[in-house]
Amino acid sequence: MQTSILILFLILTGLALLVFVYVFMTSKGAKSSGGGIRNALKKRLWFILILFVLLGFTAWVTISKSPYYLFADEAPSQVIHVASMQFAFVLSNNSIDPDSPKGVSSIELPKNELIEFRVTSLDVNHGFAIYDASNRLIAQTQAMPGYVNRLRWKFTEPGIYHILCLEYCGMAHHGMRASITIK
Amino acid sequence: METVKIKKITALWIVVVLLLFVVSIILGILMRLNQGEIIHHSPVTFYGNMTTHGLTMIGIWFVAGMAGVNYLMQRYVTVSLWPNMTGLIFTAIGVILLWVSTFIGDFHAGWTFLYPLPFKVMWASWATPMFLCSLTVMGVGWLIWSLGMVMQLLKRYSISQVFAWQHFGKNPKVETPPFVLISMITLVGVIASLLAAVVLLILYFMEFFSNSSFVNDALLMKNLTYFFGHTIANEMLYLGLAVLYELFSEVSGRPKWKTTWYIAVSWNLSLVFILTAFFHHLYMDFVQPEGLQIVGQLASYLASLPAAGVTVFSVIIAVYRTKIKWSLTNLLFFIGVAGWVVGGLGALIDATISNNFVLHNTLWVPAHFHTYNVMGNVLFSLAFFHWFAMQFANNNITERFAKTKLGLLILGGAGFLAVFYLGGAESIPRRYSNYPAEFPSAQVLAYVGAIFATVYLIAILFFFLNISKRCVKIMFSSSS
Amino acid sequence: MCKDYVFIFLIALVFSTVNVTAQVTQNGWKEERQVYQKVFDAKLDIDEQRSATILQLAQTKPLIIAMVFTRCTGVCSPFLLQFKENLQMIEKKNFNVVVISFDTRDSLKDMAMLAQIFDLKTNPQWTFAVTDAIDSLSSSIGFDPVWDEKRQQFEHDAIAVGVNTEGIITKKLIGMRNSKDLELLIKSIEGAFSPSYRLPGKSNLFSCFNYNPQTGRNMPGLGLLFIAIPAVVTFLLVVVINLLTKNYRA
Repeated sequence: MQTSILILFLILTGLALLVFVYVFMTSKGAKSSGGGIRNALKKRLWFILILFVLLGFTAWVTISKSPYYLFADEAPSQVIHVASMQFAFVLSNNSIDPDSPKGVSSIELPKNELIEFRVTSLDVNHGFAIYDASNRLIAQTQAMPGYVNRLRWKFTEPGIYHILCLEYCGMAHHGMRASITIK
Repeated sequence: METVKIKKITALWIVVVLLLFVVSIILGILMRLNQGEIIHHSPVTFYGNMTTHGLTMIGIWFVAGMAGVNYLMQRYVTVSLWPNMTGLIFTAIGVILLWVSTFIGDFHAGWTFLYPLPFKVMWASWATPMFLCSLTVMGVGWLIWSLGMVMQLLKRYSISQVFAWQHFGKNPKVETPPFVLISMITLVGVIASLLAAVVLLILYFMEFFSNSSFVNDALLMKNLTYFFGHTIANEMLYLGLAVLYELFSEVSGRPKWKTTWYIAVSWNLSLVFILTAFFHHLYMDFVQPEGLQIVGQLASYLASLPAAGVTVFSVIIAVYRTKIKWSLTNLLFFIGVAGWVVGGLGALIDATISNNFVLHNTLWVPAHFHTYNVMGNVLFSLAFFHWFAMQFANNNITERFAKTKLGLLILGGAGFLAVFYLGGAESIPRRYSNYPAEFPSAQVLAYVGAIFATVYLIAILFFFLNISKRCVKIMFSSSS
Repeated sequence: MCKDYVFIFLIALVFSTVNVTAQVTQNGWKEERQVYQKVFDAKLDIDEQRSATILQLAQTKPLIIAMVFTRCTGVCSPFLLQFKENLQMIEKKNFNVVVISFDTRDSLKDMAMLAQIFDLKTNPQWTFAVTDAIDSLSSSIGFDPVWDEKRQQFEHDAIAVGVNTEGIITKKLIGMRNSKDLELLIKSIEGAFSPSYRLPGKSNLFSCFNYNPQTGRNMPGLGLLFIAIPAVVTFLLVVVINLLTKNYRA
């Protein structure tokens, strides 16, 4: 996913910069101030229309892929409660009492089954980001005090997945972690 | 007399902005060096620097845009000194309070100070109220400044004229200059974002003084934080664009740009899109209703239409096969527009919810917003600074080292940004003082980023010395 | 500056009229327990002739299980009454309600009497039952009544548990709850997914959205007004400045 995003970005950036360099060169090479573009308004409107259609199409394709609709039609086989706090994650099969949070920081989960993470925070905002065995970010949600975010995910590959915090939460933010072992 | 004073205060603004810019860049480089394990700061120092770096940068480039717009506004309306002066005094006090709270009080909740982090005190207990006071002082000062400018515009133009509504129809009787239109649209957005900060700060102070008997709602506070933070960061770029609309054709020796129906329509629409785009900061908060998430994506997409179709297209047309007088000023504008476009592409990709799922709060985020600041907004403001300083130079000195300066600026900026994008694609988290072992490339990228940022800093120092030398002269000159 | 004071005054006004106590009840956390676990498949005695297990009952339609005891002098009666009234307001009724006694002294006769009192004896949606496996059932839904010898009463929560057709607990409601919460419970046994929810018990005076289970959407709350305030006030300010500067333009 990230690689294709980077490639898309590089292609678009390359094209945009080519246009700027080309336009600059034509100005350098222009002899009189007469040149310029013909039918500028018509071309401008076409440009806007094409851009509008492209963006509309992208929105239409991508919005349905938003994480809010992930696995919405299936029943999860397991619910994992996640309580985030400065500076640790507590994971548990049971709901977590905020006064005496009990749970573990590493759990084992089955492969190819739908897992629902119910993520909340006991203090400040945190992030709950799942990194796969090759340390690529595959899914995330925020942990917000007073609210529960439900993130559904199916792990297809066995291995050790790391959980990192992706919302700045204080001086040990970078040390906040947990892990999931998929068998 | 007023004109002379405004000239002097503008010169003062420029020197202050550039000085604080150099300091903030150095803080940024220190952060990248720490991430690259070249130097070793404690996390508290790192995150404190991060807080100072972020808020100072936002502050200075906002006031730089305001000062530029305020100066050029004299061409159309009578401008009084006091709002500008208020802005300067309040900014100075605000920056001092901010630096005391971060450097001495060790406050390090980040410039977005996401609720309730400022209340989980991990620093001197006075640092939280001092940080909040610093924001209040700056917010009030900027609010007075923006309202003062709106008042000056409305003394000359009626509401419909200042928004160029008469241009929607054919053959408008009165022409609204593009500069006036864009300034007004931007000031409205600025005021809205500052009022969001006012609401946010009131809620913070209410909880602070209630001894926790009143507790805020985290979702509401996050919405308000990004209403303020996103919008002001976005509007400061538009202040730069107002200056570009006014000066680009002028320094190129071309006829002045006129307001047309599409310019009027697009800027009016921009106002709506800018005020709703901030929802894209909450994509990963699934508690936010889906409707607003989709509004966030659509508004972010739509905001790019007037930007690309009107502003960027106009710049392209103005240059394409047209012989123009290239100088450092319009080169900076032109490169700035290119940088803005590239940053916009990175932003559009991230504003797509399904991409945000794997990009949110990775280095992709600082990658894109640094692009349209480092290679966009900063260049717009530098163009204005340079033009301003040159304007009052006694002799028409040739622009020495222009190519070297630009070359260093582009090389440093591009390299610094490239490693951010690569880091984002590698899923490296943002705002980490030290990287965990899972990301072996992160340290190298940070180190490379620091080297390129130093190259950029050298270019900025060239500009700083050159421009501020002239600005100091302007400040202390006895007459105009 | 004046506007700031007006604003603070307005907020103070809101506060004086609405009693804001940000209380987080423990129920919110208890409610999360056992969710998505299987309910204990207890054999229920429904009347002299009929008995069925919970899973057998759930197979035809999802269930809401309510726990009571007939000698209760506390929450059971008001709970059942409110529960019944709330259910009457709900149009779609593709589920059944099973009221189970957790008091071993209760006989089928006692339960039939209870049904009679609430005028539910002939209602096909409601079933009143007793079971021999009450301890296993109680622990599988996280229900822990404590016997108070002095008062000769159980110390216990009012509880309603949603069980889907596969016998899995989808949601629990603890305490006396409104019809909106009940709708959420019903949605959950029907398998509808909502990506998030607020934790109950917290003051939601300033929350941006309140979940409306009838439409499955979030409705604007007072907090949303706060998000809109900056834009609205800006607009008003521009209008006011326009009026103030009128004379200069003429």
